[in-house]
Amino acid sequence: MGSLGHYARIWLTSARYSIVRTLMFRGDFFVWTLVELFWMTVNLLMISVIYRHTDTVAGWSKYEMMLLVGTSLLIQRFLMGFFWSSIFEMGRNIRSGNFDFFLAQPGNVMFMATTRKLDPDGLINSFVAMGVVAYSARQLGLHPGAADLALYALLVACGVIIHYSMLVLCIAPAFWITSAQGIEGSYFTFSEFSRLPRQAFKGLANVAFVWILPVVLVSNAPASTLLHGFDVRLIGWLLAVTAFWFTLAIVVFHRGLRRYTSASS
Amino acid sequence: MLATLNKYRAAFSVGLQSNLVYRVNFAVRGFFSFFHLIVVFILWSSAYAGSPAIGGFSFGQTFTYFVALLVAQFMIGAFNEDYQISEEIRNGLINQFLLKPVNYFAYRFSIYLSARLVTGLLILLPVVATCPLMKDHLVLPLDLWRLALGLPALAMSALIQFGIAYCFGMMSFWFLEIQGLVILSMAIESVLGGQIFPLDLLPDWLFRLSQYLPYYYQMYFPVAIFTGRLNDPAAALAGLGLQACWVVIILAAGQLLWRRGLRLHTAVGG
Repeated sequence: MGSLGHYARIWLTSARYSIVRTLMFRGDFFVWTLVELFWMTVNLLMISVIYRHTDTVAGWSKYEMMLLVGTSLLIQRFLMGFFWSSIFEMGRNIRSGNFDFFLAQPGNVMFMATTRKLDPDGLINSFVAMGVVAYSARQLGLHPGAADLALYALLVACGVIIHYSMLVLCIAPAFWITSAQGIEGSYFTFSEFSRLPRQAFKGLANVAFVWILPVVLVSNAPASTLLHGFDVRLIGWLLAVTAFWFTLAIVVFHRGLRRYTSASS
Repeated sequence: MLATLNKYRAAFSVGLQSNLVYRVNFAVRGFFSFFHLIVVFILWSSAYAGSPAIGGFSFGQTFTYFVALLVAQFMIGAFNEDYQISEEIRNGLINQFLLKPVNYFAYRFSIYLSARLVTGLLILLPVVATCPLMKDHLVLPLDLWRLALGLPALAMSALIQFGIAYCFGMMSFWFLEIQGLVILSMAIESVLGGQIFPLDLLPDWLFRLSQYLPYYYQMYFPVAIFTGRLNDPAAALAGLGLQACWVVIILAAGQLLWRRGLRLHTAVGG
């Protein structure tokens, strides 16, 4: 328990530092908030354009799809807000040798390296994503109870953990291949899948992107829970998948850490 | 004239060599772009399940559009030219061009051409490799006029792509950090350039409005000619005229920003 308090204090200090830093560069903060808002709008615009010409996509109506995309954006905003900058810089730090800085800090290296920076612009836009989900739910006439909302929040949290683990796994090769710049981008390729309904995946794509890589399930499970209620198999599967990917990320990260040789000057 | 050409040929050759160093990175990027095509395939085939034609086009035509768009991006898209120019301004590397008889725009454009030659050839590898899987869904019209109008359209799109990136790079004379602005503009470009959905699926008035904006000519226009989304040669010809206007405007804006920016620029050090 004491250890948990210790990490909470470290995290709060980092958060305070990030917020002070953001307040120093207000113009930047404004531009980046707009950037995220625009990209979210792009996704919603795509849905609107497609549904101008068709009524359903894989059995999902327009507002059901909006709810799915909103959920996917919500998970991504949390990831961007809490972890993206730190994990993205981790790749560069490993290549440049600046990663030494984290080895000398008072805590678990993975925790210190992946939670150092907060991006308030991502967190602010998470409210917009929540707004999209709430608006879609209203249009669909949904009235989720407190238990449904708690379950939705739990599944979104699982989604954030899975995305976090996948992002760490996308960056971790930097420990082995120091010249592999741009591998961070591979994460975005996979995250695109999370905006599609699970029913659209058939055959090999279903096996690969729904069951082996959990990218589709991550957003579909919470959205389906709001839309159709509690499905114990789906939720059990998501919890198991979360545990699996998080463990894998921890193992691979620490294997990589053993390979880290620092940089000579 | 020949001496001038030789100068930029040298820049092209240096650009070619430095881009070949990153061939694996570009190949990986090309490979991952095909995952985007899987997303496109799944999403649009599901949308087409309910209706045989969307906006008057079949699934094959729409999928072909997205494949052609991807190839065109690797052939003419400005990847990070804005960032490179911005870095050269911020780090003072442009100082050397102020002292030499080298036109900075022509120098950067030569490097851009060499980079796109490398990426344009590399993207053909995954296209050829996945062709057996995709060929049943590809519908490519083979009219001669499409080639005659599409190629100049593609060349002018390259000028617009590079010109816009150049203008954004020039912003570094005024702003310390342009990355946010660049990504903001990328979001606008991706929608109005037709990368998220074919522009012809927009409401009619919005589609017509988009035809007067430079983004339409950045990517959608040549791809629409080649893939049969634009089927009227007269309309394509008129489009070429408008595209040429935008090329002139953007290049002039780049030149103006360079001149104005240099007045603010301070070269320090010896």
